[in-house]
Amino acid sequence: MLFFRSEADLAAWLQTKNYAHGATLTVSQLWELSQRWYQDRMDVEYHGRSMEQVGELFREAGLNSDFWK
Amino acid sequence: MPITSLLDEMLWDIRAFVYQHLADTTHAPSVDETATRFALTHEQTVSAYQALHERHAFFLNPGTHEILIANPFSGIETSFRVHANGKTYFANCAWDSLGIPAALHCDADIEAACSQSNESIALQVRDGGISESDVLIHFLVPFKHWYDDLVFT
Repeated sequence: MLFFRSEADLAAWLQTKNYAHGATLTVSQLWELSQRWYQDRMDVEYHGRSMEQVGELFREAGLNSDFWK
Repeated sequence: MPITSLLDEMLWDIRAFVYQHLADTTHAPSVDETATRFALTHEQTVSAYQALHERHAFFLNPGTHEILIANPFSGIETSFRVHANGKTYFANCAWDSLGIPAALHCDADIEAACSQSNESIALQVRDGGISESDVLIHFLVPFKHWYDDLVFT
């Protein structure tokens, strides 16, 4: 997961690396996802998540495309 | 009690210790530091680290017993720097650079660069919110393949 200043920078990077486009998030979208994903990471009780829990977390963050399944 | 059962009981306490050590020092504890904390032998702690690696609790540098990744923290220096709580943490990627203040529930200044232009990128987390920015974050690998090669992901 990498930062890009613009769509043009991302497109140039994908072309240089010969990679297909994946998924792009804005900073605010990523912050929303980060808070949901990492808010309990320091808890002693955190033992990881099931695939079902991950799927629910993505849906709650508004990430519904096949990329997130 | 057999040592394997003892280690199983301790595994998640060891995981919590590793994460708290990273939060407190910005560095992952060595096998010997963790062994001392839990009164285990070096070999027992290696087994515990390996078991936690296999459960994706954290990830070891291949061929070693050093913690490379304990998301969102990196066990090594990276170009994703997070200044928070008077310390400088290293994140594994763009997402994890936001993940550190999310995990620590603290303000932070994130310092990174555009992967194409190398232009600097600065983001601020304050009081649970993040600064407005036109910066984009690209995820290359679909979720179902994230753990095929975590370093590449």
